[in-house]
Amino acid sequence: MTNEESPRLSEVRSEERVAGLLREAASRLRPKEDPRQLVERTLTRGTDRIFSCDSPLGEVYVGVSEKGVRLVGRATSSGEFSRRYRDRFDRLLSWGTDEKARTLAERVAAALTGQRVEVPADLSGTTPFQERVLRVVKGIPRGQVRPYAWVAREAGSPKASRAVGAVMANNPVPLVIPCHRVIKNDGATGSYAFGAREKVGLLEAEGVPVEELAGSPYLGTPTTGIFCHATCANARRIKSENRRHFRSAKAAVSAGFMPCEVCRPVVAG
Amino acid sequence: MSMESKLENAEDLRSEDPLAGRLAHGNPRAPGELVERHYAELYRYARALLRDAPAAEDAVQDAFERAFVSLGKYSLERIEILSLRPWLYRITLNVVRNGWRDGRREVPVADLPERIDGHFGTAAGSVEVRLDALEALDRLYERQRVAVTLRYIADLPYAGISRATAGLRTPARPLYIGASNGLARCCRTNRKEKEVVR
Repeated sequence: MTNEESPRLSEVRSEERVAGLLREAASRLRPKEDPRQLVERTLTRGTDRIFSCDSPLGEVYVGVSEKGVRLVGRATSSGEFSRRYRDRFDRLLSWGTDEKARTLAERVAAALTGQRVEVPADLSGTTPFQERVLRVVKGIPRGQVRPYAWVAREAGSPKASRAVGAVMANNPVPLVIPCHRVIKNDGATGSYAFGAREKVGLLEAEGVPVEELAGSPYLGTPTTGIFCHATCANARRIKSENRRHFRSAKAAVSAGFMPCEVCRPVVAG
Repeated sequence: MSMESKLENAEDLRSEDPLAGRLAHGNPRAPGELVERHYAELYRYARALLRDAPAAEDAVQDAFERAFVSLGKYSLERIEILSLRPWLYRITLNVVRNGWRDGRREVPVADLPERIDGHFGTAAGSVEVRLDALEALDRLYERQRVAVTLRYIADLPYAGISRATAGLRTPARPLYIGASNGLARCCRTNRKEKEVVR
């Protein structure tokens, strides 16, 4: 062995030196932005956000996209809810810790407790028909109910009452879009994704006279000759001595009453 | 290949990363953990390849966005066996290569000291040597540059380099050896050229 290094060995040492230099140089390459902000920005861009809030049905989880609330539901854990969300929308959920998510969480919590707060709903995963139906239902005021046939007509498909029922059963954002305010055409409350009893409880909490509605969902007054849905704001102003109950809109028309122009009961069909 | 060795390989592919399990089972904290754990190293990787800070940040953001989109579509079982680190490197590489293709990598080498100043200590000589190493990266073929960066900067083992460079079609070890020799050569050439200029 000579004192001189073999070319091979010198090459290896040179490689090691280069590797060391590269590692050192790279270790100094750091993003300038605050790491927490970077994480937040990355999550906002790449995932949808989740938060939980109290509701009349107990604690619910809420999944939101950039456009608005996308899924509301009860679950045994946030993980279970997130898996359901991923299966339905192909998106991951991360805790909503940014300002936008916090503000939305406050609005949703307020809306669920009955305050008049506008909450954006993201219905991008729905068909055009489902979207039309859900938008109609969103417009039903607190304390009022409407039958499936009415929703079908307002959504532009008057014969699709059953399909409306299916849309209600799969409503991704219950409470935000109040599908519990849609009842059977005869005034019975019908079923609900969270249970029929919960539906009755929700309606009663909103001031809907559930028992009174069953069997007589329409109310007319001889003073004007007009009949309404029994929970219409105009119907509630009718004095008790003038109240005429009807099982159906057809029966009201047969008795010579005209449909209210505000709540527009469905007469045909 | 025997059945036994096939099974062994399949077992090797199974990720032992608990984070992959948490992602698969929908833990809403898991995406944040993924970003916290890998952002800095992916940034270094992208920065070494792109040589431009804003472009590297964009690339890493894009890479995470793509990763999250994919994780949203993968089945629970598929996520559970993911080796997250090489997988993220592969996505970042794809994003970087798209950037190269779009011509976004046109960063004059002369800009480099300004862009990373403040991070290099005080000894001017050592700054220059380190810059030599980074500049030398630019002289390598693309796939060699990727392999060297993955080995030296990301510290990925050969198996990880193979996974992270699935599209390059060259076995990781010979690619890496060729690349590291090339890098040392480029460093020497770089230095000689600078001496001639002086």
